[in-house]
Amino acid sequence: MSGDTKVRLSRRQVTTALGTSLIAAPFIITRPTWANVQLPVRTPGGSFDEVKKEHVYDPFRKATGIEIVPVPATVAKLLAMHKSGNMEVDLIDTGDDTLLQLDQAGALMPMDYSVFKMTNPEDLDPIVKRKEQVGNFVYAMVMGYHTAAYAKGKEPKSWAEFWDIKAFPGPRTLPDMASGSPNLEFALVADGVAPTNDKIYPLDIDRAFNSMSRVRPAITKFWDTGALSTQMLADKEVVLASLWSTRLGVAIDKGAPLGAQWNQNMVLVQSYGIPKGSKNVDAALKFIDFSLSPDIQSAWMRAYKAIPVNKKSYPATAPELLDPKTNLPWTQAGFRRDIDWWAANRTKVNAVWQKWVLR
Amino acid sequence: MTRTAHQSFDPGLLIIPAFALLILLFVIPLAWFFVGVFAEEEGVSAVMHRFIDVLSAPGIVNALITTNWISAMVTALTLVIGYPIAYYLANNTGWRFALVLFCIIVPYFTSVIVRTYSWMVLLGRNGTINQALLSLGVIDAPLPLLYNKMGVLIGMTYVLLPYMVLTLYATMRGIDSNLVRAAYGLGASPVYTFRKVYFPLSLHGVVSGSLIVFILAIGFFITPALMGGPSDVMIAMLIERAVEITLDWTSAAIMSVALLAMTLVLYVIYYRVTDVRRMMGA
Repeated sequence: MSGDTKVRLSRRQVTTALGTSLIAAPFIITRPTWANVQLPVRTPGGSFDEVKKEHVYDPFRKATGIEIVPVPATVAKLLAMHKSGNMEVDLIDTGDDTLLQLDQAGALMPMDYSVFKMTNPEDLDPIVKRKEQVGNFVYAMVMGYHTAAYAKGKEPKSWAEFWDIKAFPGPRTLPDMASGSPNLEFALVADGVAPTNDKIYPLDIDRAFNSMSRVRPAITKFWDTGALSTQMLADKEVVLASLWSTRLGVAIDKGAPLGAQWNQNMVLVQSYGIPKGSKNVDAALKFIDFSLSPDIQSAWMRAYKAIPVNKKSYPATAPELLDPKTNLPWTQAGFRRDIDWWAANRTKVNAVWQKWVLR
Repeated sequence: MTRTAHQSFDPGLLIIPAFALLILLFVIPLAWFFVGVFAEEEGVSAVMHRFIDVLSAPGIVNALITTNWISAMVTALTLVIGYPIAYYLANNTGWRFALVLFCIIVPYFTSVIVRTYSWMVLLGRNGTINQALLSLGVIDAPLPLLYNKMGVLIGMTYVLLPYMVLTLYATMRGIDSNLVRAAYGLGASPVYTFRKVYFPLSLHGVVSGSLIVFILAIGFFITPALMGGPSDVMIAMLIERAVEITLDWTSAAIMSVALLAMTLVLYVIYYRVTDVRRMMGA
């Protein structure tokens, strides 16, 4: 009997709650639209968004009343949105290689630098300024090592030494094709090619894979997500890795016994692109302008441990990201991943990779 | 009369919502995807050429073989491990039954990714299992339990075991225990009784469970990607890569058709097997 009463009570409660919410819904849903503007932005999510919310999204909202709404979406989903003519985000924040793929599918609008008010386009690192996209921070593919595996100063210092599995024994990991692109560049550098863009590209695919075969016996696993790369290194599943400097920096900050080797780093760019079908291009450009401006870049990059795109913010770069010889960000000494080459050749490399992993 | 009351409501109508949902959320998007992708190719012969090219590429042929091999192994392992568990469940009541059932169902409330990472902590080179064995002096060097086929088999068997156990349990619950008692009464040994009475009666569950596990296994993606080695590539991983990395949706569609065809063939076999058994009066 008491059970019956309980059921009836809860049912009534549910009905009441449903009724109330139905009546209230129009107010809750419509209120923000007149209080302020919402800008849905595709972002990588996670800790990335936590840091960016504090140092970029919240100050932007205070300054303009525009609220950034992070939306998770993979490149395939964005492409599907474009093809179906129903673009659900007004701005895309992702890797520069991904944005180039979208641009080549006709999904992006040209970047309009002329409307910038807070950022002087002349101050931006030239490598991040493209007609279809503009970088918002710079990071790199670097060598990471477990400090317990090598005496201080005895860790490998070049990709040739990383590839030398006799002189520097121990399991290693490199990025998988599934991460976007395997490290064919480092394979060539290890094989004697000078670490500069004009010598590395166009990539000699056969030579690169032959070089990859030499380091293969020491590869425990190729990583496909950034989380796996740091986890394997921190757990000492591997003692050497090629991985993203941002991920490695976060792990070191949290106290993992890891080190970063910036020599011969490959520069990568996180970028903005405005999709065709964006419903608020003005707000998107205003946000880009805001987040690339010197003060915002300085505060954000100090917290996120990446390298600013605005040269005026270089003095605020975290000290561990500076080359002690020049006092400039380490990425100034690296070579840049050629996203145009990858866009043109990714399918071909994928086919070779699929065959090569079976060997 | 109750007869007319029954006639006024056809129980077949109950299937309509499920059927509508399947058409709306599965068949139509799938057809839309295939048509959209293949429309970008020029003509039927171009599509056929792409089919032959994609499905004869060594990487993909190997992935199809690996997929079937791993799925078959996982099916066999879940059957060997799951059968005694299901038997225990079917022949116990009270807290014993509740405890075992709880242990089998509870992992379902945790995400596959979290469970897979937990396995990595246990199985790694410096993982719990290797550390324990090394400190006990059982082994001299860490066993390669992770980032190879062994890792994939352990991870997938663990994730898929409940499907096998619950399917077997459902069948075993339906077995009339009087038949077993009658066999004992007529002087049959426990082994003979199991072989000639219990096992044949549970065979329907064995076939159902095996097909469910196999069909789920051939589409697996997260576990082999995280726990396998470089060459342990399953077809779902290649589909994901074609969709997300190379944006080669034609290849993705072709591999998906192949995977769907494999699944449908298994369903046909499943129906044949169950029908034949019914015809024989089992």
